[in-house]
Amino acid sequence: MIVGEPIVVESLEVRLVNADRLALKGSISTPTALAELKRLFALAHELAVTTRVTQFTVDVRQLGFVNSSSIRAFVDWISRAAHSGYKLAFTTNPAVTWHRLSFSVLKTLAPDSVEIVEQGDGPS
Amino acid sequence: MIPPSGSPAEHTVRIARRHSAVEDARRVAELATRECSAECREAVSLAVCELSENVLKYGKESGSDPDAGTISVTVDDDAIRIRAINQVGSVEDARKVFDLVSRISVQGGDIRDLYRSRLLELFSNPTLERAQLGLMRTVFEGGFRLSCYVRGAELEIVAERACRIDA
Repeated sequence: MIVGEPIVVESLEVRLVNADRLALKGSISTPTALAELKRLFALAHELAVTTRVTQFTVDVRQLGFVNSSSIRAFVDWISRAAHSGYKLAFTTNPAVTWHRLSFSVLKTLAPDSVEIVEQGDGPS
Repeated sequence: MIPPSGSPAEHTVRIARRHSAVEDARRVAELATRECSAECREAVSLAVCELSENVLKYGKESGSDPDAGTISVTVDDDAIRIRAINQVGSVEDARKVFDLVSRISVQGGDIRDLYRSRLLELFSNPTLERAQLGLMRTVFEGGFRLSCYVRGAELEIVAERACRIDA
């Protein structure tokens, strides 16, 4: 991943905004997009561990739709972050149902390792 | 096919075994719910995606039919019904789905607790092969009620919820 350079797979766009911030946009409903999401989450985790950040921000405000396998990818990243000692801060849009409902449950998996920041619409 | 006047319109899509199958089903759902509220459209999109994925994962080829199954979306005046039908590979698969739907659909049961329990299992056991979150999300996030029917080797899952038509 190169800072500022978006990676686009089908209807999913992922951008490393800086060394501790990832922005996701679009939707995930195919195996190809899911595989890319998992790969990029793994890379972001490596980056967080290598650079020893205390917090890594994931902006999902413009991620409109994900399938359940993608929820699993979020669970796996939270698990890795919890074991590696850094916090994942998810910036969500409370107007999107799955953001509001699923992230509130995801936070309960590792309350000390997950932060939810509700901000409404994200950057275009 | 145009339904008789006054009856609810049913849109059916065959779930072909191809990369775009889920997206194809979502497009049909969008067409079927184009006059519904944004909240309904979002819920139907989720349910159709999850049910289509299940049909693709568990649907078994039947005779000369190469497709995995069908998804139907029916919009009535004040309700939406989605039906997913597929052939199952084993009685065991059908029983697992039936049991899961029964657990999710228990009157007074807390779907958020069930969903959290499953996420916690996945969190604690990253090697678990199947996430099995789709039907729970359909209820928890989509607000649907589920029912399940097994007829021989055919499995039918029905998801229903109230619907609001945009003025």
